[in-house]
Amino acid sequence: MKDLEDHFFRHEYGRLVAALSRRVGMRHLEAIEDGVQFALAAALEVWPKSHAPENPSAWLYRVAYNHLVGDWRRTTRRAELVLRLGADAPAGLDEPRVFLTGEVRDDLLRMLFVCCDEALPVESQLVLALKVLCGFDVSEISERLFVSEANVYKRLARARSRLRQLEVQLDDLGSTEVAGRLPAVQSILYVLFTEGHFSSHVDGAIRRELCAEAMRLTEELAAHVVGAVPDTFALLALMHLHLARMPARQDASGGLLLLEEQDRSLWDSKGIATGLTWLARSAQGQEFSRYHAEAGIAAEHCLAPTFAETRWERIVECYELLDRLAPSAMHTLNRAVAVAEWHGPRAGLELLEGLAPPSWFASSYLWAAVLADLHKRAGQTALAERYRAVALESAPSPLVRTALARRLGST
Amino acid sequence: MPKYLCLQRSLSGAAEDDQASPAQMQAMYAKFNEWREKFRENLVDLGGRLGKGRVAVPDPAPDGPFVEVKELVGGYMVVSASSLDEAIAVARECPGLVRAGSGVEVIEIFAPG
Repeated sequence: MKDLEDHFFRHEYGRLVAALSRRVGMRHLEAIEDGVQFALAAALEVWPKSHAPENPSAWLYRVAYNHLVGDWRRTTRRAELVLRLGADAPAGLDEPRVFLTGEVRDDLLRMLFVCCDEALPVESQLVLALKVLCGFDVSEISERLFVSEANVYKRLARARSRLRQLEVQLDDLGSTEVAGRLPAVQSILYVLFTEGHFSSHVDGAIRRELCAEAMRLTEELAAHVVGAVPDTFALLALMHLHLARMPARQDASGGLLLLEEQDRSLWDSKGIATGLTWLARSAQGQEFSRYHAEAGIAAEHCLAPTFAETRWERIVECYELLDRLAPSAMHTLNRAVAVAEWHGPRAGLELLEGLAPPSWFASSYLWAAVLADLHKRAGQTALAERYRAVALESAPSPLVRTALARRLGST
Repeated sequence: MPKYLCLQRSLSGAAEDDQASPAQMQAMYAKFNEWREKFRENLVDLGGRLGKGRVAVPDPAPDGPFVEVKELVGGYMVVSASSLDEAIAVARECPGLVRAGSGVEVIEIFAPG
C-alpha cells in the first residue's frame, strides 16, 4: 500500500469542493462540503483494507457526487434534480473528465475568485479560502489565525450566506468581471502568506504550512492565463525570497533572531534562486506594484553576503516606492531603519520626526523599538531608555521580548 | 494458530465524536497502515463495517428483546493469534477501535482438530 502524497486529504478536499461547486452551483456549498467530507471518510475506511483505487481523485469525486445527489433525491423531487443537472445527469457520472490537470486548475482558481467577493470583508474571504480551498476545519483555522472558533464560524456563516445569494456564476475565467477581481485575489494570497510568515505561532511547521498553501495557490494563479501577469510573478518572488530565509529566523531553542544575527548559510539557496527567477519574470510591462517593491527589498537582503554589505540605498529606494504605492506608517518606519543603516541613526530619526503615526501603530512595540534603537545609537540615552521601556512592555510575546531586550540592551 | 472474531461495539453513554478534519484523516490513514504493517501476520480478514440487521426467530416468537444488530456492533474483523490475550493486544492497537465510546469484543473461533 503506497503512501498518499503529503496533504492529500486536505488538498483533495479543496479540489473536490471546487469541482463540485462548478458542477452543481455555489449555492449548494454546504451540501457539497458534506458530500466531500463523506467521501474522504469513506476512503479512510475502505482504502487501507484493500488498495487505494487507480485514480483516487475520480473515486472520491464519484462518491461525493453520489452522496450529494442522494441527499437531493431524499429532499427534492426527481424532476427538479434533472432540471438542475441536465437530462438524466446521473448517467455518465463515472467519467473522470474533471480530473484533467487544466480543469482542476480552472476549478481551484474559480473558487479562489469566488472567495474574493467584494461584498465580503477580507477576514471572511480568508477564512472561506482556508476552509474550502485548503481543507482546514474550523478548529484548525482558529488555531492558525489566533481567533476563536466562534469567530471563525461567524465569518464562515457570513461568507456562505453571501454565496447563497450569488446569482452570477463565474463560469468564464476570462471574463472582465474575473479580471477585475485579480487584485483582491493577489491580496488574499499575500495575507495568507504573511499570516504564516509573520505569525508568532510557536510551531514552525504550522507557519510553514500556511506559507506553502499560499504559494501553491499563487503558483496555480501564475500558471493560468487569467493570473499570469507581472505583479503575480512579483508576489510569487517575494514569497520564495521570504520563505528561503525562514530557517535562519530562529535559534536552536526557538528564540527569534534579528536579521543581523542570522546565520546566512542557513538560507535556502535554491529557494532564493527560484525567487530571483520569478522576480526576473516580473520585470516586464509598465506596472510596478507593491509586490515588486517588496520582492525587491527581499531580494536585496538575500543577495547581501553579510548584513554590513547590504545595499541599503537600493532598499531605501524600494521602501520609498512601496510607501508611495501603499502608504503606511509601517513602510515609513522600515524606510527609516534602512536610512539609518545607510546614513546613520540621525538621518533615520529625521525621517520619523514630525510624523504622526496612527494610534494603533504608535502604541505598537515596533514603533517604540525602532525609536529606542535609533536614539540609543545617536547617543540620546534618556529618550532611548523611555522608548525601550515602552517596547519591552508592549512586546506581543516572550520570544519577541527576549530578542528586543538583547538588541536594545541596557543603556 | 487460533483465529479470533473481533466485533467493534459501541459503548453506551458516549456522545458521537467530532468529525475528523482532512488533515486528521490523513494522520489516521497513516496510523492504520502502520498498524496493518506491524500485525501483517495476524490479520486474517480486515472485515468491514456492519449495517442494518435483524434476528430471525421461530414463529411464534419467544419472549425477549430483539434489538437491531447495528446498535450493538459497528464492524468486524478476523485475526489469528496464539492466545486470546494476544488477539486482544492486536485489536487494542488498531487505531480508532478502542476509544471513548467504542470497544472491541474478541471471541475465539473454535476449530476442532
